[in-house]
Amino acid sequence: MMQPHIPSPSSQTNHPIVSVRDVSMIFPTGTVALQDANLEIAQGEFISLIGPSGCGKTTLLRLLADLIQPTSGLIRIGGKSPEEARKSRAYGYVFQAPTLMEWRTVLANVMLPLEVMNFPPSERKARAEKMLALVGLEKFARHYPWQLSGGMQQRVSIARALAFDPQLLFMDEPFGALDEITRENLNLELLRLWRETGKTVIFVTHSIPEAVFLSTRIVVMTPRPGKIETLIPVSLPQPRTFDTRETTEFFQIATEVREALRKGHGYEVTE
Amino acid sequence: MSRVSPNLLPMLVVAAVALALYWPLMYLANIPAAQRALDTGAALPCKTAVECATQLRSPVLPSPQQLWQGFGNLMFPLNSHNAIPINAAVTALETIVGLLLAAIVGFFFAIGIVASRAFERSLLPWIVASQTVPIIAIAPMLVVLLGQYGVQGWIPKAIIAAYIAFFPIAIGVAKGLRSPDPLSLDLMKTYHASNWQTYLKLRFPASIPYLFTAFKVAMTAALIGAIVAEISTISFQGIGKMLAENSRASDVVAMWVIMLSSAVLGILLVALVNWIERLLTPWRRARLLAPTKPTSGRTEVSP
Repeated sequence: MMQPHIPSPSSQTNHPIVSVRDVSMIFPTGTVALQDANLEIAQGEFISLIGPSGCGKTTLLRLLADLIQPTSGLIRIGGKSPEEARKSRAYGYVFQAPTLMEWRTVLANVMLPLEVMNFPPSERKARAEKMLALVGLEKFARHYPWQLSGGMQQRVSIARALAFDPQLLFMDEPFGALDEITRENLNLELLRLWRETGKTVIFVTHSIPEAVFLSTRIVVMTPRPGKIETLIPVSLPQPRTFDTRETTEFFQIATEVREALRKGHGYEVTE
Repeated sequence: MSRVSPNLLPMLVVAAVALALYWPLMYLANIPAAQRALDTGAALPCKTAVECATQLRSPVLPSPQQLWQGFGNLMFPLNSHNAIPINAAVTALETIVGLLLAAIVGFFFAIGIVASRAFERSLLPWIVASQTVPIIAIAPMLVVLLGQYGVQGWIPKAIIAAYIAFFPIAIGVAKGLRSPDPLSLDLMKTYHASNWQTYLKLRFPASIPYLFTAFKVAMTAALIGAIVAEISTISFQGIGKMLAENSRASDVVAMWVIMLSSAVLGILLVALVNWIERLLTPWRRARLLAPTKPTSGRTEVSP
């Protein structure tokens, strides 16, 4: 298992690890994907971005990851620009699809970022094996991706994102394509990973139960133009279990999220 | 080796069906010719047109017996410069060297096409144009040109084979290099991977299946290119040289035997590509084998 994350001195101060100020994103087609977004995220938080299609949640994540650049506004990741953060490999990104390379075994897939980042060859295998154990797939190291179920493939991609030990984990609807049962299991596993590694997670979803179950705070977003409607703290105690979903508090927060979505004309919410 | 046998039975069935269809067709084509030969009183060891149909000196369609005999005549002695084995080996050499040349050139063209729009726009139309020039017209000129610089023998034929083969390889590899989905490219970007790393870790491996598909197309094109080059230039060896000689001698049976032999050579060369493909893409091999696994208790022999 991984050692508990020890925050560096700089992150122990009150500076947020992610800071978004007045950020707008207008695509060349004229679509306002994101308007005047403001958000601060502290070290160790689990933040969910929730909203219907077109609310800019994926856009916001891609902006943080420097996969696209904002039209205006300022983004800081650990005090750096997104580009500097990306170049210093500050975050791991888990996409909607597992994006595993079919010609690599599971182990070799987890080793991919370590190869790109020039980790010493002796260290790569040990790290990758440790990450696979963390997501419970050590027995499948020699398999090829197609031999794994969709849920297992997504777990491999999480292991891959964590392999180089970034402080931040960006997840863009990682479980969106999975069935409900697999998704709930993976949610539980993701919470365990988050507790054990101490990463800061930013998680895009359009499922209200998923957002409530996972998050320490929920960022509710609404479409046309995409903007941040409200922030809802989730005070459910840790560690959360399957029973957490049955509590009254859980339903109260879920209702609060649902109402916030509706208030922002987000009535096309899909779950 | 166990992977060859599943193909063998279906192939033999097709051969048997083709033969069964060929037989009546052969009679149909040869009986009028046999009748004419009998009418003109040619010295034939047969009495009826049906009997003679399989024994004509220059048949419209050779009978299977004649093909078999012709095959026996042309295969042996194995080391004869007039027999098929050595000539087929020379043509195979030209084809394979041509394919390798084409692979190198095609690969760089593919990278050019993928890396630069300008390269694609300015050069692709010319490349397409180059492929529409009949090889039979350009081959003698290329041989004369190369002869000026002392390049002779089988090498000009390999170059002509490469000239035909590089196009499908360039297009196939270009498609393969472009095949990674946008998310995979984003993934490499999140690692701050260099352009070179993205090619090495993502684009090149992703293009391998496309490369082999292109190789199979290019291999048959290269074989035809090599044979046509041999026919249309002065050649001392090769399947094309045998075809040209026997064409001049009007030996119909020999022409058919050589033609069928070159078809077999084509099958073997494509099988060679298949074999190398299986060797180099273990992740696909396992996948291809997966559905056939439960057929029997036979143990799979992996190379």
